[in-house]
Amino acid sequence: MAKITESTRNEVREIVFAFFAEECEADKSHITDNTNIIKDLDGDSLMFLELIEIFKKKYNLDIELKTIGKYAVKHPVETIGQLIEMQMLIIEHENRILELEK
Amino acid sequence: MSDKVVISGMGIVSSLGYDLETFWKNLVEGKSGVKKISLFDASSCATRIAAEVPQEFEEYSRCLVRKRAAGQMTRVTRMCLVAAKQAVTLSGLDFEKEDKSRCAVIMGVVNTGNSSVEKDTSPQNTVFKSMTNSMPAWISLEYQLLGPNFAVNTACASSAYAIAIGMQMIRDGNADIVIAGGADSIINPEEINGFNALYALSVANDPPEAASRPFTATRDGFVIGEGAGVVILESEEHAIKRNAQIHCELAGYGLSSEGYNIMAPMKDGEGMAATIEKALKNAGVSKSEIGYINAHGTSTELNDRYETMAIKRVFGEGAYRIPISSSKSMIGHTIGAAGAIEGIITLLSLKNNTLTPTINYTDPDPDLDLDYTPNVSRHKEIGVAISNSFGFGGHNATLVFRKYPGI
Repeated sequence: MAKITESTRNEVREIVFAFFAEECEADKSHITDNTNIIKDLDGDSLMFLELIEIFKKKYNLDIELKTIGKYAVKHPVETIGQLIEMQMLIIEHENRILELEK
Repeated sequence: MSDKVVISGMGIVSSLGYDLETFWKNLVEGKSGVKKISLFDASSCATRIAAEVPQEFEEYSRCLVRKRAAGQMTRVTRMCLVAAKQAVTLSGLDFEKEDKSRCAVIMGVVNTGNSSVEKDTSPQNTVFKSMTNSMPAWISLEYQLLGPNFAVNTACASSAYAIAIGMQMIRDGNADIVIAGGADSIINPEEINGFNALYALSVANDPPEAASRPFTATRDGFVIGEGAGVVILESEEHAIKRNAQIHCELAGYGLSSEGYNIMAPMKDGEGMAATIEKALKNAGVSKSEIGYINAHGTSTELNDRYETMAIKRVFGEGAYRIPISSSKSMIGHTIGAAGAIEGIITLLSLKNNTLTPTINYTDPDPDLDLDYTPNVSRHKEIGVAISNSFGFGGHNATLVFRKYPGI
């Protein structure tokens, strides 16, 4: 289990905001935690997977997509803020994220 | 109530331009879009020329296709979406005012363009780029349309089939609006070497612009082109109701299969003739009404010979009075997009009372003695015209266009 520091949290936020600004051709300063990924940014579900790949490489995570899929079914992500929180959980718990359900 | 189907919009991406005005001007001036291949190093190929869409198209398309979506499309899929957006814009359609469940998309798709020349494909985008339904899907997504949405593949007749099926869908009352057409590009080493192995392509590489020379004695195969053509089909009643500008009537179509050979057309153009006959009957027009034929005219030995024979078989002595031309002499063979692009050229010929030429017609084949509109465009008022498309596998299509009163 990785310990999430303030620095990690800020780094994740920065990566997520920059990713959506770039991919959705949006002004980064207009993206907030409440921004809806599909309705406001015209984003898509694949972006979530691409971000996970980015974080997997960056933090050398032991996480399988099917594990995230099972978790995401019960915890759907709609906003940037929700997505950041889920990424933090993934970084913190990796494949053990499903144990949070128990 | 009229069961007429009309065309209220069209869009083009081609080697001679990616807007209608430039495209038409270049055609009328008899320009060639054929050049040395720039998309890849073709120095080891027997054929080293093609009619490529200008590289500036990429910059133009960035204004019309969102970056993220563009990354999930091949270059040719972007051409298709751009042509569709041009067509919708010209039509003046506002889909928010339409019953979207009655708006369909049908595209002729032979190749997705996901070849070795396609750049910047990420693992996540590989599937999207290779989906043969991606072109109609992206168009439907763009406007959030809810009607039928699919691709048809009948080789070089694909987009003509798409238009014919769309027309029938409207005639049958199953749609108000159909976005129909197609896009294609096979300018890649795999396809060029494959077609070279079949002796189907011209190897007259120098000068490139003289290589496509349909109906001449020295023709030696077709020249590959690429591009997209899309039309907006709608019922006349629907178009009038929304006060749309009607560019032409799509009067009918003929579709048939030759059941003969995977590559060669049926001997003496029998299958081609049967298709033209079917189209005229379907459109309810007499042979004497036909004022122009936009030929399939590939610049191959067999097609041009048999298409000429087919026209004579259908029209008899009347064949000699009908001007014919091959757009492929200028824009090459755009394969799955050919039916739609050449259908649009036929429409513009009717609308503008101008017939585009068959360029490079400098050495007539003595056996092919019809009027091929040699080398220069011609002013002629015509009321009805046909466009032929014939594909490998014996897929034949003829579309019939009629001038719309008041245009």
